[in-house]
Amino acid sequence: MNSYAFISIIALYSYVFFMLAFLTAKKNRLIWDFICVLFLMVLWTGGSLLMRGQMWPSYELWYHVSLTGIWLLPYAYYCFIRDFAGAQRKSSKKIWLLLLAAGTAVNWKTGFFLKPPEIVGEGEQIAFVYHMEWPVVIMYGLCAALLVKIAAIIYRLYRKRPETAYQLLPLLAGILILYLGNLGISLFDGFPVDILAGVFNAVLMFYTLYSGHVFRLTLLASRANCYVVAMAISVLVFFNLAQEMNRFLQQNVNILAQYHVIIVAVLIMLLALAIYSMMNLLFDRLFVKEERMQNERLSAYTMEISKSLNLHEIFQALVNVITETLQVKKIYICMEESDGSYQAVYSTSPLDDKRFTMDAGHPLVSWMKEHDQCLFLRDFKRTLAYKAMWEEEKKRLDDMKVECFLPLKDNDDLVGIVMLSGKEKKKSLGIDDIGFLNSIESVSSIAVKNSRLYERAYSEARTDELTTLLNRKCFYETLEECCRRCGRSALSLVIFNVDDFKLYNQLYGNREGDEALRHIAQIIKGTVGENGYAARYSGKEFAVILPEYDIYSAQNLAENISAQIRNMNRNSKDGYLKTLTVSCGICGMPYAASSPQELVQNADQAVYHVKRAGKNGIMVFSDGIIQNQKSGGSLEKHRSMYSEYASTIYALTAAIDAKDHYTFQHSKNVAYYAECLAKALNMSDEYREILKEAALLHDIGKIGVPEHILNKQGKLTPDEYEAMKSHVEYSVGIIRHLPSMDYVIPAVIGHHERYDGKGYPRRIAGKDIPLAARILCIADSFDAMISKRCYKQEMTLEYAVNELERGAGSQFDPELVPVFIQEIQSGRVELVYSNGEGAQK
Amino acid sequence: MTFQEKLRNGERDRIWQEYCGFLDLDMKEYMTIQNRLLMEQMQMWCSCPLGQKILKGKKPQTIEEFRQMVPLTTYEDYADVLLLKKEEMLPDQPIIWIQTTWEGGKHPIKVAPYTKGMLQTYKNNVLACMILSTSTQKGQFDIEEADTFLYALAPLPYTTGLIPLALTDEINVEFLPPVKDAVKLSFSERNKKGFKMGLRRGIDFFFGLGSVAYYVSLSAAKMSEGDKTGGKLKKMFSMSPSMLLRYIKAKNVCRKEKRQLKPKDLFHLKGFVCAGTDNRCYKDDLEDLWGVRPIEVFSGTEPSCIGIETWTRNGLYFFPDTCFYEFIPEDEMYKNMEDPAYQPRTVCMDQVVPGQVYEIAITVLKGGAFARYRVGDMYRCVGLSSKEDETRIPRFQYIDRIPTIIDIAGFTRISENSIKSVIALSGLDIENWVALKEFTEDKGRPFLHMYVELSPDAVVSRAISRELLKEHLTIYFKYVDQDYNDLKRILGMDPLEITILRCGTFKTYEAASGKKLRHINPPVHDVQDLVKAQDQFQAQDGRRFPL
Repeated sequence: MNSYAFISIIALYSYVFFMLAFLTAKKNRLIWDFICVLFLMVLWTGGSLLMRGQMWPSYELWYHVSLTGIWLLPYAYYCFIRDFAGAQRKSSKKIWLLLLAAGTAVNWKTGFFLKPPEIVGEGEQIAFVYHMEWPVVIMYGLCAALLVKIAAIIYRLYRKRPETAYQLLPLLAGILILYLGNLGISLFDGFPVDILAGVFNAVLMFYTLYSGHVFRLTLLASRANCYVVAMAISVLVFFNLAQEMNRFLQQNVNILAQYHVIIVAVLIMLLALAIYSMMNLLFDRLFVKEERMQNERLSAYTMEISKSLNLHEIFQALVNVITETLQVKKIYICMEESDGSYQAVYSTSPLDDKRFTMDAGHPLVSWMKEHDQCLFLRDFKRTLAYKAMWEEEKKRLDDMKVECFLPLKDNDDLVGIVMLSGKEKKKSLGIDDIGFLNSIESVSSIAVKNSRLYERAYSEARTDELTTLLNRKCFYETLEECCRRCGRSALSLVIFNVDDFKLYNQLYGNREGDEALRHIAQIIKGTVGENGYAARYSGKEFAVILPEYDIYSAQNLAENISAQIRNMNRNSKDGYLKTLTVSCGICGMPYAASSPQELVQNADQAVYHVKRAGKNGIMVFSDGIIQNQKSGGSLEKHRSMYSEYASTIYALTAAIDAKDHYTFQHSKNVAYYAECLAKALNMSDEYREILKEAALLHDIGKIGVPEHILNKQGKLTPDEYEAMKSHVEYSVGIIRHLPSMDYVIPAVIGHHERYDGKGYPRRIAGKDIPLAARILCIADSFDAMISKRCYKQEMTLEYAVNELERGAGSQFDPELVPVFIQEIQSGRVELVYSNGEGAQK
Repeated sequence: MTFQEKLRNGERDRIWQEYCGFLDLDMKEYMTIQNRLLMEQMQMWCSCPLGQKILKGKKPQTIEEFRQMVPLTTYEDYADVLLLKKEEMLPDQPIIWIQTTWEGGKHPIKVAPYTKGMLQTYKNNVLACMILSTSTQKGQFDIEEADTFLYALAPLPYTTGLIPLALTDEINVEFLPPVKDAVKLSFSERNKKGFKMGLRRGIDFFFGLGSVAYYVSLSAAKMSEGDKTGGKLKKMFSMSPSMLLRYIKAKNVCRKEKRQLKPKDLFHLKGFVCAGTDNRCYKDDLEDLWGVRPIEVFSGTEPSCIGIETWTRNGLYFFPDTCFYEFIPEDEMYKNMEDPAYQPRTVCMDQVVPGQVYEIAITVLKGGAFARYRVGDMYRCVGLSSKEDETRIPRFQYIDRIPTIIDIAGFTRISENSIKSVIALSGLDIENWVALKEFTEDKGRPFLHMYVELSPDAVVSRAISRELLKEHLTIYFKYVDQDYNDLKRILGMDPLEITILRCGTFKTYEAASGKKLRHINPPVHDVQDLVKAQDQFQAQDGRRFPL
């Protein structure tokens, strides 16, 4: 066999092998294009080989077959490059096919472009001589034009997506080699450089597809390939060994001469079988085993997550399947939060640092939203999106040693991102892993999204939005279930009712009230832990179900929680929050109740008794009697606590009177107006008392403001104004040291806040400003306007009323202003004037 | 680079230097590390809301100021922040919260935050423990990939649950049974499965509480014996050929020596690590059972893993980069016990005196929450250097918990309050009592000894025998203290002993000695005097109560 035939056979064999492999694989347009290229190469090489062997029916036929392969090959390349680059389809493709096919057909019929070669010489010295004439230029010209077109596509691609164009480099190298190979025919006489170049070209095309993540190597491990390879080796074995074996048998085993052929055939068959088995084993070890294991794991994983709606379980299964299959060291799962950011929520080990968040504008998130495939960090670094990455973000990814990102997408919705580090033994994730990861992605995305929706819906249905404890409905369900389970052994129910919570809301506003409820819930949850179930039983009531707790233990727990709640505002950052207490009722099964309803009723009754006994205490319902009264120190009958502090208020107001008589008189006036407004609003006596005292003390901080500023005639400088503003903090600073008077602080600290949020010192707005402060603000401003000061004359009542109306909604509460004005205009509120010498009615 | 990669690279000297190099430090170098890391921690801790809460607005600038301004703390000082997991108040964001029971506390559990830096140090320390547990001399150790660990530890959220996580991050070791299975099994199931797997694959390492390790070892010996012939055969079939050979050989040796099979006959441990209190009561037995003397580590929920013995098994060394250590001399501690307002004096590592007993106070470094925190453990300094270990830093011996706490076998911590609760709940008319930790004469096992004096009325009106008192109090100990219950459930221990004193003994003793005994762990000689006071009482009074 000469070198020409040898190389041609190798080339032909390679093409057929690739073609068979890809024919058995799952095909897309790109794979079809490649099969088409391979088919044309088979035509070219096979035709050429058969022509040179002058095989039946005629060498002319094989010549035309070979030429068809050559001339249609540029077109196949063109299709391949277009699809690889994702270029838009145009009708020009069909024109090219038409022209090349027509030219080839004409040449088949007439030999117009290039006639079949002439055979010169005989035997081993045979040669094929081509007689080229000008028409051949037309066909090769068409081919060259198509190659230019291909180059243009690649250039455009490079401009648009440089990273994809780089992937085509091996392909370009292949075409170049093919071109040079064809040129080299004339240089290497008798050596088929063109066919060898074709082989290189096919290999490079194969590599291009492989590195472009179009297929995996395991695809080659089909049974068909196994047959082909085994068959080829068997043929070679038969070709080389059959004669030798026959000769050996004839020489040594003459007795069975008539069976020699059968023996040889059987031996060859057995050998073929062995070769096939070995090939099968080899393929299995190299490719299929791994793929089969991957498939098994994938299928087990699919089964596992399809059975679960627990997000944590799904994450665990996801991490396990990837870790076991790909030996990835670290995996982080980031999930979309309500603000659109992606927060790391799960990782391989609980010891991993999960303080990782990508906001909605993170370049990686944007990229992931646009693409459906997994992305290697090394590829991401070459994208334009990466240019927008902050150095800190880059460093974070590097620190986490992330190599690959897997989007979890449900249609266009990016549910989450899985981040994978490198493999063990310093291996990197490769192209072969992508198929598996994509399969994982498609299975996981929906499962994760569904379980998330389910968990959210489940949580919303069961938990209270503000406190995240169980809601009332779920509380009853849980109680029923617990009663069934341990009603006969031990079950306790503790109900906590927050004392004076309405007053707390009025003093500090609803926002502070909500914050307090959240804090109480946190205390209860933290203390109960895994031992029971905590619920928000009603607006300001919390219930704790304690399975296997007797009343003694429940009482200890209740004492612990009550103490924590009592202390929770002690260290509040501004030091102005009032102490909160709870009234707590306990009942237990089977000791003092026999049904869930009875348990709740009895615990409620115990709470009621604590309230009646003066709040802030714990009572146990036992056998119809409320027992075991314990208190946090003040169970004696509530007295009007405010009247107790009259002397303190007197002392303080006397102090301001000594320094600034106007402020003293002004405070008294404000107290009067504020109390009148509170009365008009039908506020309780208790509340009006608080308001009056707050008004008397609201400017107490002016003790700390220099007199020259307090009594300055003319406009204050910015510095002086700042000093004047600080009287609010001074006031709070003074009152803070009187723990028994802390209840006036919210009104005092908020009396210069504006309804539009432009006031001081906290710049809070609307209903976040405590009601008492909003009332004081109106009363304070009104009195200031109608009073005479050293730096201004008093204003008329009409003017003051107009100013109040004008400021309603910006400076003042728009709901309170009309009420106050009506009170003034109806005469129910009399005017009092401050003028430095005293008040005048 | 992980520990495994370092092993593969054959960097054995560098590995030793990296993990156990602290043993070569001299005092000055050791204190440089301590002081530098404390400065870093001070900056974080003093500026965080938790630190500010304890410091009450003060701002220490130097280590001396820090030690003056920060009072010695207990868990009470942190409870409101840590129990509610207020991460925003901590010096650094925690990665994980570790939990333990809070005996005598206002809350059933205590939790401690672990930051990233702390966890990294923890990993290093656990690896150092692993290295030192296998070493027989300086620089030598025997760790390989795929070594097997018998899993006899409490899983997360307890501190021991960090060990498998820390190790698997660094080296490919196999836990028997695997951690993900182990956490779903009960204690006995876990042991059984672990040993079954050990019989197939061998056991290279064993980490556990001393008492638990002893119990597990006894169970293992029984399991290896097999209870019936069928069981033995089945067991033999499940063994690897090498293990089967070892098993047959071991059985033969045991038959000749007329003794029971011990774990050492089957397994050749590379490393044996034990933690917790009362280890000294179990070490000899454990060595006899496994053929390897366990190395002792000191690890706790709040301080993490802070100390380790060396190949000489002669004293613990504290890791320099985990906590800043301060030591309260014993006399100062007693002064503080008598007068809680008294702030005891502390000394640093470079000021400890050999032979002196100290209560330890730690400041957790690398963003930890605890500063000058009294862990509640007592140590004796046994030397400032060691010729055998070639060390120039102090080494310590773990004594026990502080006197106000009775710790039995590392499982339960009994305080005065818990005993008072037990007595109150039991309804027994116990007029006076003292409780102290004693050790059995035969095997030196710890037990709780209560000396009780009943009211004269109760003695005549109720049936009260020693057994009855013991049973009654045991029930309430189990009720009040889950860990006490576990002591019985897991280890089969019944650690309560009762001695009934004659009515009036305490009064007589107090009158005679002029002092009042403290309830928990009073000095032993005082208790002996108390017991003797019964006789004096008889001599003085000359009449008998119907006891």
